[in-house]
Amino acid sequence: MNGYTGKILMVDLTRQKITTIPTSKYEQWMGGHGMGSAIFFDLVKDKTIDGFDPANVVTIMTSPFSGTLVPGASARTEVQGIGVQSYPVGWFTRSNFGGRFSPMLKFAGWDGVVIQGKAAEPVWIDIRNETVTIRACKSLSLWGMDTQKCQKTIWGYMAGESGYGDWMQPAGDTGGQTTQRPAVLAIGPAGEHLSRMACLIHDASSAAGQGGFGAVWGSKNLKAISVIGTGHVKIHDPKALIETRLWQKKNYAFDLENLKHIEGAWQFQSPPSTSHERGKAEKKQGKRPKGCVGCHSGCRSISEDGIGNEVTCIGALFYLDAKTNDIHRKACELINLYGLNAAEMIYGLVYIRLLQQNEDLETAKIPPCPLDFSDYGSERFIEQFVKMAAYGNDGNGNPSEFGKDVSTGFVRAAKKWGRMEKDLKSGVLHFPYWGLPIHKEPRAQVYWGYGTLLGDRDINEHEFDWIKWDVFRAKQKNINPESSAKELVKIFTDIMVPFEGDMLMMDFSEKNIYSDHMAKLVSWHRYYTRFWKQSMLFCDIRWPDIVNLHRPDKIGSTGIAEPRYLKAVTGKDFSFLDGIHLGRRIWNLDHAIWTLQGRHRDMVHFCDNVYEKKDPLSNADVPNCHLPGFENGEWGYHGYSKRKLDREKFDEFKTRFYTIQGWNTDTGYPTRKTLESVGLKYVADELQQKAKLG
Amino acid sequence: MAFSKKERPPRTVSRRDFLKVAGTVILVAGVNSPFAIAGSVTKYPPSDGYILVDIKKCQGCVTCMLACSLVHEGIESLSLSRIQVVQNPFGAFPGDLTIEQCRQCVDPICVEQCPENALTVNADFGNVRMVDASKCVGCGTCVEACPYTPSRPIVAADDRYESELKARKCDLCANTPYHWDQKGGGPDGKQACVAVCPVGAIQFTRTIPVQKGDLGYKVNLRGPAWERLGYPTT
Repeated sequence: MNGYTGKILMVDLTRQKITTIPTSKYEQWMGGHGMGSAIFFDLVKDKTIDGFDPANVVTIMTSPFSGTLVPGASARTEVQGIGVQSYPVGWFTRSNFGGRFSPMLKFAGWDGVVIQGKAAEPVWIDIRNETVTIRACKSLSLWGMDTQKCQKTIWGYMAGESGYGDWMQPAGDTGGQTTQRPAVLAIGPAGEHLSRMACLIHDASSAAGQGGFGAVWGSKNLKAISVIGTGHVKIHDPKALIETRLWQKKNYAFDLENLKHIEGAWQFQSPPSTSHERGKAEKKQGKRPKGCVGCHSGCRSISEDGIGNEVTCIGALFYLDAKTNDIHRKACELINLYGLNAAEMIYGLVYIRLLQQNEDLETAKIPPCPLDFSDYGSERFIEQFVKMAAYGNDGNGNPSEFGKDVSTGFVRAAKKWGRMEKDLKSGVLHFPYWGLPIHKEPRAQVYWGYGTLLGDRDINEHEFDWIKWDVFRAKQKNINPESSAKELVKIFTDIMVPFEGDMLMMDFSEKNIYSDHMAKLVSWHRYYTRFWKQSMLFCDIRWPDIVNLHRPDKIGSTGIAEPRYLKAVTGKDFSFLDGIHLGRRIWNLDHAIWTLQGRHRDMVHFCDNVYEKKDPLSNADVPNCHLPGFENGEWGYHGYSKRKLDREKFDEFKTRFYTIQGWNTDTGYPTRKTLESVGLKYVADELQQKAKLG
Repeated sequence: MAFSKKERPPRTVSRRDFLKVAGTVILVAGVNSPFAIAGSVTKYPPSDGYILVDIKKCQGCVTCMLACSLVHEGIESLSLSRIQVVQNPFGAFPGDLTIEQCRQCVDPICVEQCPENALTVNADFGNVRMVDASKCVGCGTCVEACPYTPSRPIVAADDRYESELKARKCDLCANTPYHWDQKGGGPDGKQACVAVCPVGAIQFTRTIPVQKGDLGYKVNLRGPAWERLGYPTT
């Protein structure tokens, strides 16, 4: 099995038992998310269980590309299971993270890890090639440690006094040798204390942030998984693999001598970025770029004081109001140390501050808030806030009902305080879908909001996101965007098989955002990401490569590059369209699981604010998001944030979307015909048993 | 396939090269370096090529390591890579990371001490210090002899020899069954780690680096473009 190691590790924490699943059993799903969903469906008989139920199964999957030379696809790891973050239902959900965990898992001989049950006491899992040991945390006092100390302690345990820098044989004399540190995935105090905002953290700042998987691990008494491997991944055609890498490097990647797109752009073609660093005129840290394993253009950095290393993306947007850059970097590091979801913490802090500014914190139903807002912007303030959310106390080690409420997540806290509906409606609590924080403005980037609502989580998929940034910068500089709207839409929609050529898929004007065209865009996006990004594990930041300024025709390598890599690594003839089809199959399986959990079309709505108010708060992005629109017979870029969505029209959109999926339009339930057409008869059977078949 | 000796343009050791090498040996002999043990520089002709790295430019993606095992063994393995990037994600720049590559030593002690003459200065490939796997018995003498940490030669089971232990070391991609370029590697060809490095932190040179210490091999490959991206160049 080229690209695979051939086996998946299964750890039953209740029985302290290690077994294996042959990867071949799930190879039809290719890897990552597809495999994870299929395994979850088979192992979890009652899909209605709570995420904290010991019967919840967490899958941690690699892809055939993990640990290979495929750029931006070597390092991601997909995590799935029933989450505890979303509201009112903890959906079956996913998160993924970069770094070096999945390559190391492959080098140890495993295509994934499946966690079942609950340990009687806190444990960690020690994987050294074939040797897997469930170890009690107490001998190393791991339980209670922050994520950095936990990882360093395990590293020290593995290497002994000699430390790192020389060859070591982690699996003993009979194993191979390595110079590398074990890759450790750990929870912090937030996970241990079952905060629903808790993450899984690897290295300095690779986080499986969404879903509350840190708390799920905490509920299983699982502190960490450490893996060190000295083996290898077999490659079908090694020469073709390096040829393809170099072909892309030469023709599509950044060229240091001819730099384009350097201003924070995060695309395949973009050069390494120095992460988000606040623009304040203070001394900047000396640094290097940091890439995940196999990455062609790192998006992280390592700084000269080592604080806030690897912080990137939304993790770098926490506490932007800090008084200094140094405090900001420390704040970003804190959420990693304690293992907290950056997005929820960012918008949760906004919420608490707005309550304080509106003098609503004084109302009777809200317990006393232990935070001193006169100190806002300081390191002391943010450390207390982070600890409060992690430990569920006052942040100083004392009991606090307010802290306890906050640790359940801000929507649940608002619910307990009797103000959830009111604050969601006003937008003070900017969590517009499934109790999850805003990320991209759903009124403008409707595909993002629709995808989130029709799925399980903030989609966090950036295929189209950079468009508005390009227009925004162009407007700031009073220059033209890199591509005209018509040119850009043409290139994008040409790649969207099997819906290719329908340019109106990317018309974000008012008249089109509830149309069949938009339903096709959302469908394509769901299928594309489910397979190519979440199953083959191409990085969300660097892929796809659709519009590329290094090419005379601006046409990127996506559609050609992905199948070439897949053929080189696995030997499989599998087209880009095959991936879209498999993505649709995976999407159907996920939707069936949500249906079994209780999903009905009537539940699928934004909070009232999105329908009733125009862009109530500026989000983390640009003002009045400019996107392509076909207006008055012409393509152009137009600002679309200053509108509200129409509740009835969105309901009609759902009917169009369900029709494209082949689902029942009254209930949103999957139909037998559709499920059988994608090879999911057994799923249809289970839905029928539960009276959930459409 | 790399150039054979007959095909390759003749290379002579320039007076400048000679002075560098000789000067280095004289210098290191004076400080009791391992090179002082190794004897005279004239015993082995110098390699026609060397790998240089910039540890301040490296982005730690280990793409070089993946490429190394891929072109040599046809598999992806960090453990078999002849170039090792060792890093600490919690460390402070620039001490968080180092790249350790074979230096193609002017006075190669691994060659000197191999009891089977399996490690050779291969004239067919520009005097690169190479392992002849057919002669290697996997005794690990080269690993022990290498004065650098981690040792540049690696001994590991080799599937091509019924899993017998065999030494491997950097050959500048001279012997790479899975090389992508028709002309192959070696000093006159292309080296995988150099070719794949996304940020140009690895470079090939024909100039013999200063042998004493690391400065000859760990160099500054940054420039104005690097500074434009916001990274230090000094």
